[in-house]
Amino acid sequence: MRLKADQYFDTIQGMLDRFATKKDLEVVYVTSTIPSQSIIKALEVLEIPMDHIWFVDCISQIMMSQEKRHPHAIIVESPTMLENIMLKVEFLIRKHSDRRALVVLDSINSLAIHNNTKILSEFLHILVNNLRSRGAYTVIFSMQEYETDEIRNMLVLVSDESIELGT
Amino acid sequence: MPTKERSDDERERCVTGIDAIDHILNGGIPRGNTVLISGSVGTGKTSICVEFLIRGALNGENSLYLSVTEPTDKLLKNVIPFDFFDDRLAKQGKLQFIDLPRMYEKLGIDTEELDFDQTRLLAETIAGVVEEQKIRRLVVDSVTSVCYRIKDQERIRDFLLRLGTVLSAKGCTTLLVSEIRSSEEGYSRWGIEEAIADGVIVTGNLERRGDLLRTLQIVKMRGTTHSRAKYVLDLTTSGVLLVPLLKGGSVSGGG
Repeated sequence: MRLKADQYFDTIQGMLDRFATKKDLEVVYVTSTIPSQSIIKALEVLEIPMDHIWFVDCISQIMMSQEKRHPHAIIVESPTMLENIMLKVEFLIRKHSDRRALVVLDSINSLAIHNNTKILSEFLHILVNNLRSRGAYTVIFSMQEYETDEIRNMLVLVSDESIELGT
Repeated sequence: MPTKERSDDERERCVTGIDAIDHILNGGIPRGNTVLISGSVGTGKTSICVEFLIRGALNGENSLYLSVTEPTDKLLKNVIPFDFFDDRLAKQGKLQFIDLPRMYEKLGIDTEELDFDQTRLLAETIAGVVEEQKIRRLVVDSVTSVCYRIKDQERIRDFLLRLGTVLSAKGCTTLLVSEIRSSEEGYSRWGIEEAIADGVIVTGNLERRGDLLRTLQIVKMRGTTHSRAKYVLDLTTSGVLLVPLLKGGSVSGGG
């Protein structure tokens, strides 16, 4: 999903509300952009129920965030630990295997800050194909302002569809 | 990933219940194999072994944990609280824990070093328990500590060969935990353990750009084709999870 920076919070809110609340999906939200606690606070203000939303937070630890951890958030030490992101996603999907899963990757651009293109392509390829084989949906956020040709090529390789917001 | 489909004449498998390991091994450990699980501290050896036993017990296979280095009470307090663990398994005798120092006491072994007769007596006693309790899965944690008391290389070889042969004949699949230092070459303290074992599973720590990843690699397994690639490991309440180690970055060295 290609979005502009000023659409970011509206997109998160829309995605989570629509899929976790109205579509009966278990949502695994991988954040490497902002700490999960910031998103959770926004969801609380908007009264979006958290029952079926889980976070894999790869940024709080590296930011040395002192905020209290939410029981629906699992911490990955660093966005460079791509294998651990896959493992935590796998863990959450297994734990809630009674519902179909939607995995949101927020975002390819922030992961690209911490990882080189080669390892990031490999990560996406394995993660997306694994999720696909398990009947889970994957949505990858890409901020248009920070897209490079490499990121665009990477997304083309793993995506079935590209949705551009605001056009 | 598996390189070959299974055919009818392949050996019966002991399905570990750890999905990723069964997948890597093309269906599980060949029944009756003695497998060395080797690694330095904190790499997940004991968690893998405990899950192997619990999954076996849940599947109706009598399972036994022989603890050498740590009293069972302490071990159970420290082990991951697996979601699938069922207290009744111990009460039903499906899952048993025995402290080896107590076995030494019962056998009247109080010397620092085991002589030839004591070594044989120990192997026969373990085999006896396996026979009597109809044990199908056994873990010895750790074989390194047992070998420390045997000391002599010939006697270690004799002990491991004897134990492996008897257990295999009884269809008991055994995991022997081998403690090694991260800097150590090879997979065991004496080098004999890895040569005698039917399989070697290595757990380790891999440092990549300041991140420390837990890894697992199956380097040998008689009786099956298997992947020899390195995987990254996570110890969770749902059990041991594995994903392939990503190679796209600049990965240096072992682990």
